[in-house]
Amino acid sequence: MSWVVLLLVVLPFTSAALSLVVGHRGEVAERGIAVGASALGLVLAGVVAFPHLGNAAPLGHVYASTAAAGPPIEFSVYVDQLTAVMLLLAHTVAFLVQVYSLGYMAGDPRYPSYAALISLFTGAMTLVVAADDLWALLIGWELMGACSYFLISHHWEQQEARAGAVKAFLMTRLADLGLLFGIIVLGARFDTYQISTIMGQIADGGFARDELWVPALLVTAAVIGKSSQFPLHTWLPDAMPGPTPISALIHAATMVAAGVFLVARTFPLYLSAPAALTVLALVAALTMFISALYALFTDDLKRVLAWSTVSQLAYMFGALAVGAYAAGVLHLLAHGAFKALLFLAAGSVVHAVGTTSMSAMGGLREKLPDTFITMTIGFGALAGVVPLVGFFTKDAVIGSVWEAARHGNLIWPWVAWVLLVSMVATAVLTVAYSMRAWLRVFFTPTATEAAAEQVAAELAAVEPHDAPPSMKVPLYLLSIPTVLGGLVVAYPQLIFGEGEYDLVHVGVSLVMTLLVVATAVLVAWQWQRSGGRDPWHPYVLPHPPVDRIYAVGVVQPVQWLARGVRLSDRDVIDAYADGAGAAARGLGWLLRRAQTGRIQTYLMVVVVGACAIAVMAGVIA
Amino acid sequence: MIAVLLDGLVAAPVVFALLAVLMRRERWAVRAAVLGGLFTFGWSVWLAVAANGTLGQSGSTVDVVWLGALDVHWRLGVDGISAPLILMTTLVFATALFSLVRHAPADAEGGPSRTGSLGVLLLVIEAGVLGSFLALDMVLFFVFFEVALIPMWFVINTWGDAHDAKARRRAATRFLLFTVTGSALMLIGFLIVRAEAGTFDIVEIAASYRPSGTTAFIASALVALGLAVKTPMWPLHIWLPDAHSKAPTVGSVILAAVLLKLGTYGLLRFWMPVTSPDWWLVPLVAALGVVGVVYAALACFVQTDLKRLIAYSSVGHMGFVVLGAATFTVGGVQAAVFASVAHGLITGLLFFLAGAIKDRYGTADLARLKVLYGKVPHLAGLFAFAAMASLGLPGLAGFWGEMLAIRAAVGQAPALPETTYTWLAFIAALGVILTSAYFLALMRGMLQGGPVTPVAPAGGSVELVADTVPAGEPVVADAGGTEWVTWSPLVVLTLVLGVAPGLLLTPVADAATAFLGGLG
Repeated sequence: MSWVVLLLVVLPFTSAALSLVVGHRGEVAERGIAVGASALGLVLAGVVAFPHLGNAAPLGHVYASTAAAGPPIEFSVYVDQLTAVMLLLAHTVAFLVQVYSLGYMAGDPRYPSYAALISLFTGAMTLVVAADDLWALLIGWELMGACSYFLISHHWEQQEARAGAVKAFLMTRLADLGLLFGIIVLGARFDTYQISTIMGQIADGGFARDELWVPALLVTAAVIGKSSQFPLHTWLPDAMPGPTPISALIHAATMVAAGVFLVARTFPLYLSAPAALTVLALVAALTMFISALYALFTDDLKRVLAWSTVSQLAYMFGALAVGAYAAGVLHLLAHGAFKALLFLAAGSVVHAVGTTSMSAMGGLREKLPDTFITMTIGFGALAGVVPLVGFFTKDAVIGSVWEAARHGNLIWPWVAWVLLVSMVATAVLTVAYSMRAWLRVFFTPTATEAAAEQVAAELAAVEPHDAPPSMKVPLYLLSIPTVLGGLVVAYPQLIFGEGEYDLVHVGVSLVMTLLVVATAVLVAWQWQRSGGRDPWHPYVLPHPPVDRIYAVGVVQPVQWLARGVRLSDRDVIDAYADGAGAAARGLGWLLRRAQTGRIQTYLMVVVVGACAIAVMAGVIA
Repeated sequence: MIAVLLDGLVAAPVVFALLAVLMRRERWAVRAAVLGGLFTFGWSVWLAVAANGTLGQSGSTVDVVWLGALDVHWRLGVDGISAPLILMTTLVFATALFSLVRHAPADAEGGPSRTGSLGVLLLVIEAGVLGSFLALDMVLFFVFFEVALIPMWFVINTWGDAHDAKARRRAATRFLLFTVTGSALMLIGFLIVRAEAGTFDIVEIAASYRPSGTTAFIASALVALGLAVKTPMWPLHIWLPDAHSKAPTVGSVILAAVLLKLGTYGLLRFWMPVTSPDWWLVPLVAALGVVGVVYAALACFVQTDLKRLIAYSSVGHMGFVVLGAATFTVGGVQAAVFASVAHGLITGLLFFLAGAIKDRYGTADLARLKVLYGKVPHLAGLFAFAAMASLGLPGLAGFWGEMLAIRAAVGQAPALPETTYTWLAFIAALGVILTSAYFLALMRGMLQGGPVTPVAPAGGSVELVADTVPAGEPVVADAGGTEWVTWSPLVVLTLVLGVAPGLLLTPVADAATAFLGGLG
C-alpha cells in the first residue's frame, strides 16, 4: 500500500512538470495531461483512502531519512482516517476544478502554466495531509502559499491581482514562521520530527497542563495566517482577482482548509495546551462575526463567498477549540463540498455576465437554469437549511459548543459562551447574506429604469449564456454530497471508527431552524419592501482597519529603514572605503601599470606577492 | 589514487589555460577554455566518487614539503565539508565557460572581444578556488586565495559594464583593495596561530590546539576580519554591490556563486579551529551575520538596478552562513555548507538570468524593465523560479541552509549565550520575510508590470516602457537553446537538493564531526 501513497504524492508533481514541458505542444496534450492526471489522482486517492476509513489501523511508512546531526529529517507518510478524508476531499475538488477549467479557461494562452499550478497545488496539499514528518509538512504548507501566489496573479495585468497575490504570500509566510519555530521547538523537545510519534507521546500523557503551550501557540500562529483568521483575515478576500476555479480550490480543499487540518492533525498537542485552545476560540469567535458582517454588505459576489469562507473556517476552529474533533472535521468536509459548489457556480455566473458585481446581475434564474438550481442548493447548505449538509454539521458544531459551555472543562466556560453567542449571531448573519446574494443574483428584477438600462446594456454586451457541459457537470456532481452528506452525521463511525460521537442535538437544531426561517422571512420582507432590489441599503464597510495598522506599523517603517540603509551605504560607509582608497593610491598606481601589460604583468604581480609573503613569513617566524 | 586526483584537480584548469593561451585562433582558444571547464567538472566528479568512502574523515592525502624553511607544506585533502563546494565550483565554472561560446561579453573599451583571454583568466581563478578548497595548510590556503583574486580585477575592468568606465574601474579596484587587505590580515592571523600552535597544518590544529589567551584571541579576530571582508560580513560588504553589478555576466556569476564561498569556507575550515566559543568574538560574529541579513534585505527594497539588487541579496544569504558557523555546532556547519552550495546554484542562476535580461534590453535599470512575463515568458518564468528559490521556498535548495542555520542558532553550542542566539534566530527569520517581500516587489515590478516611470529614451536600446504586452511577436528573443543548456544544471540541482537535502547533509555532518571533534 505504501507505494500507492508514494505514487499519489509524486503524481501531481509529475503532471505539473509535464504540463510545463510539453503542455505548449497542443490542446490535446495540455488538457489530456491536466485532466487525466487529476482523474488518476482521484482514483489513487480512493484506493488509499477507503481502506483507511472507519476502524482501520493507520498506515505509516518511511521512504527515506537523513542521517545527520539532530533528529533525522524523513520522507515519510502516515495515513489515518483524517488523512483519508482529506485526500478524498482534495483530489475530488481538484479533479472537478480541472474539468471545470476546460470550459472556464478555454482559449486562455496561459492555460498550461495554470493547469500545472493546480497540479502542483494538489501535490502540495497531498504532501501536507499525508506527511508524517514535520519538515515535509512544512514543504507542502509553504508550497501551497507559493502556488496560490502564482494563481492569484494569473491575470497579472490587473493591479488588484498583483497586489492581492503579494499580500496573500507575505501574510501567510509571516505566519508560517510560527510553524517553523514550532517544528524546531518540538524537534528539540521530542528528539524526532515524526508527527505520529510526537502526538502519540503527548496522547500517552505525562505532560502537565499547558506544559507545551509554546509550540501549541506557535502552530496556532501559522494556522491563523493560513486560514485567514483575525488579525490576518484580510488576504483571502483580496485574493479574489484570481480565476474563480482557483478560488474554489483554495477555499474548499487546499490552502485555507490546511489550517483546520493542521489543528486536527496536532490535536493531542492542543488538548494538552488549553492556552492555545483558548486563543483559538477567541480568535474564531471574533473572526466569524466580523467576516460575516463584511459578507453582509459587500456588493461583490466573489467577496461574499470569500468572507463566508473566513467565517465558516472560524466555525471549524470553534468546534476544535472545545474539543469537538469530529464536528470540526465534518464541517470542514461539508464546507469543502458546498463551497466548491458555490464558487464554481459563481464562476459560471461570472462567465456569463462578465463581472463579479451583484449590481450588474439579477434575474438570471431563467437565463442560467442549471446554475440557479445548483447554486440554490449551495446557498441553502451555507445558510444551514434542513436537510442539506450544512445544517447537520453546523448544528453539530453549535451543539458541541453548547455542551462545552455548560459542562466543558477544556477551556473556561465564559470562552465557550462567547463562542456560542458569536456562532448563533453569525448563523443569523449567514442566512441573511446568503439570502441577499441569492435574491440579487437570480431574482432581482431590474426595477428602476435607469438601473434597468444600465444592466440591460451590460448584459447585452456580454450576452448571458449558460455554461458548457464541462462546467455544468461538476456543479451537479458537487450537489450530491451537498444534499446527501448530512447522512454522515448519523453514522460518523463510518469515517472515524467506533467511538462516542455527540453530533445530534435536537434542541439546538430546532432553535437554529426557527432562527433560519425567521431570518429568511425578514430578509424576504425587506427585499419586497425595497421593491425587489437590495434588501438593505448597500453600505460600504471601511476596509478592515488592521490593514491600515499594517501599513503604518510595518510597511512604512520598513520603507524608512530601507531609505536609511541606502543613505548609510552611500555616504557613511563609502567614506571609509574612499579613505582606504586614498591611502592605497600607491597600489593604485601599480595597478594602473599592471593593467597595461595584461597577463605578463599579472604574472609579475603574483610573483611579487609570493615574495612578499615569503619575506613576511620569515620576519614573523 | 586520490592524491593524483587532488593534484590533478588543481592542475587541470591550469593546463587548459596554457593550452588556450597557445591557441592562435580566438575560436580555438575559447573552445580549449570551455573544454577545460567541462574536463575539470568531470574530474571533480571522479574525485568525489573515488573519495566517497573517506569523506567522513579529515586529513591531508597529499603532504609534500614545499617551503621547508618556513614549514609550509603542500597539503591537500578532501572531505565532506569541501567536496560539495568543489562540485558546486566546477559546475558553475563549467556553465560560465560554456556560456562564453554564444554569449561572450564585449570588451568594455570597444576593442576586440578577446573571449579566449577571458576564458584563460576564468580557468586561473578556478585553479585558485579549487586549491583553496583543497588546501589544508594555512599558508597554502592563503596563496591559492590570492591566486583567485587578482585575475578577477582584470575580468571586471576589461569586460565589465561598458557604460561607465570610471565606475567600472572604481568597482574593480575597490574589490581588489578590500580583499587583498583582508587576506593580508588573515595571513598575519595565520602566522600568530603558527607561533601559538607550532604548525600550519589545520587538521592537526583542529585536533590538538586549544586556543586561549589574548594572543590567540587576536589571531582569531584577525582571521575573522580577513574572511569577513571576503564573505562579506556587514559592515565590510561595501565593495560587493559595485563589483557584482559592474562585472560582466560570467564575472558576476563567478563572484557570487564561487568567490564568496572562499570566505565562508575559510570560516569553517580555518577560523573555527583557531577560535574558542567562550570568546565574545563569536556572538559578535553571529550578530554581524544577522545584521547583514536584515540590512541587505532592507537595501534590496531601494535598489534601482537588477544586478545590484541580486548582489545585495547575496550579503543577506551569506549572513545565514555566518550565523550557522558562529553557532559552533555540527548542525551549524551543515547549515553553512548547505547554504553556501545553494546560494552558489541559485544566485549563479539569478546572475545568468539578469545578464540575459541586460543583454536583451541593454539595461538592468528596474525603472525600465517591465512586463517581462508578457515579453519573454520563458525567461521571466525561470526568473520567478530562481527568485522563489532565493527567498527560501521549502522544497527548493535555498530553504534548507537558512532553516538549518536558524535551527542551529536555537540550539547553539553550550558555551554560547542562549538568549542572544534565540533572539538572533528570531531576527534572522524576520529577515526571511523581508527577503520574500523584496523579491515579490521585484517580480511585481519587473515581471508583471506596475507603475511606469517615464524615462528619457537611451540611445539605441529598445523602448521598454509599456503597461501592456505588445501585440504580436515579442520584441526580443526568449531564452534560447544554449541558454537552456547552460542554466538547466543549476535549475535541476536546485530542485534535487531541495527535495533530497540528505544528499548533502549526511557527508557534511560526518566530516564536521571528524574535523572539529569536540562539537556537539
